[in-house]
Amino acid sequence: MRHRFELQVGPVAFRVGSAWAGPVAALRRLYAGYPAPAGACDFTVRLEPERPWRRWLRPSVAIRGDYMLPDAAPLALAHGLLAAEMGMNLQMALGQRRFLLLHGATVERGGRALLLTGHSGSGKSTLAALLGERGWRLMGDEFALVDLADGCFHPFPRVVSLKNQALALFDDVAGERLGPVLRGTPKGTIRHLRPRSEAIARMDEPAAPRLILFPRFGRDLAAEARPVGAAEVFVRLTQASTNYVTLGEVGFAALAALVAGTPASAIDYASTEEAVGLVEALWAA
Amino acid sequence: MAGPLYIADPADCVRAVPLEGLTALYHRPSGTTHILAPPAPQILEVLAGSPADADEVAERLARRFDLASEDAGAAIAARLSELEAAGLVRRG
Amino acid sequence: MGIVRDEMDGSNEQRQGGESPAVPTRRTVLALGAVAASTVVTVRPALAQTAGSVLNCEIPVPGPDKVGNYIAADGSLVAPGTPGAFPPAPRPLTGEEVKVMLNHGPAPRGIDAEAAQAYVNYIRRLQAGMSGFTCFASLQMPR
Repeated sequence: MRHRFELQVGPVAFRVGSAWAGPVAALRRLYAGYPAPAGACDFTVRLEPERPWRRWLRPSVAIRGDYMLPDAAPLALAHGLLAAEMGMNLQMALGQRRFLLLHGATVERGGRALLLTGHSGSGKSTLAALLGERGWRLMGDEFALVDLADGCFHPFPRVVSLKNQALALFDDVAGERLGPVLRGTPKGTIRHLRPRSEAIARMDEPAAPRLILFPRFGRDLAAEARPVGAAEVFVRLTQASTNYVTLGEVGFAALAALVAGTPASAIDYASTEEAVGLVEALWAA
Repeated sequence: MAGPLYIADPADCVRAVPLEGLTALYHRPSGTTHILAPPAPQILEVLAGSPADADEVAERLARRFDLASEDAGAAIAARLSELEAAGLVRRG
Repeated sequence: MGIVRDEMDGSNEQRQGGESPAVPTRRTVLALGAVAASTVVTVRPALAQTAGSVLNCEIPVPGPDKVGNYIAADGSLVAPGTPGAFPPAPRPLTGEEVKVMLNHGPAPRGIDAEAAQAYVNYIRRLQAGMSGFTCFASLQMPR
């Protein structure tokens, strides 16, 4: 493809090819400071015109690559950066076999990891990014990578996708860590935030899990923490994994070990301060 | 009325992990995962590789446990139906 | 397995030691559950969680291989012009719009409310191999 970008994120190497220069240029700026892959790439993403003439006429970016999904609608060229991010997510979701993947954000402190998991809109990405600005090391905001042999979480620190109202919470970060504001995307207004340089420098340092949280954000919710039973955690995490079934017994063993060995709570909160307070209290317990 | 004979796969066909009173179970032949509450795991154990009807299952369980139930026969029949629907026991 | 411990072995060991047990052996109680109880939950695979964040999908109503058919109120495909049935959706429905409607939210912009309900029923009936199935599957989020 005309334009190419290669990127190492934790244990995974990506190649992104694009028919247009714009998305690759945006990726290069956003991922400044990330290492280039040392060897072959694990996954390839291709940003291609939906039809040949759509490269120029109302440019339309189809997300293709080693792994693809039918029925995926193309994006406008202005959102090419988002297409690249979605493409990388798709390769992981469909193709990752070396780790058990859990949908969620991970942060580390004192050598131990916290997993924040739940469905879209629960506030987990925003909370993880905030913790990353307050003394925690951000390990990832989309996928937790569980080592199949020893159960540690491996960092996968891609840029964080901040949506809509959450953007206002990050006004004080250095401008060059932020990508362009993307309005009118299928997910509303989005802006990407590069993790702090320490998180990037330590992208090869795994951490053993210590706590699992199911966060729930709502303006009407009273701040509260409730323990979650192990069997419920197990089932909820199977629903948060795209490769649990594919991994078979190895996936079962890894998930069972994670759940049996890690306490879990559900936390409700209506503000950032409440959320951070609940996290710190549960971590200290 | 004892009902049909059921049988479960031998014990090495499943992998079970206790989770706070419940059991997470991986069924190797089908690759399916289940969460079981008592007495389902115990019923699987007594049926592993050895067919029995509901009455016989009750007897096998009673050798090890005090069975708490208003109607053991009906309860065990219900458990067997659930296990059959999940593919963990079959008629044999 | 055997989360409920078997107490019998303990008492056997005591007898082999040549001493009578000081305390009578206590057997564990096993509750058999009510007839209507549910003691087996099978884990179903999920495309949902992550697919929702990776995929911007669309569902044409009806699929491209069924162009021209009308949609009955219950979502089945019928001949064009069938009384009470709705014409094909004017544009494919996005994953977000379908998710809203599956949660009993409002119909998408520009689409009649009753027709939207028929379209949602069509989408519920989608099976693998029909255009739009993967998108629909990715919207299923069992709690």
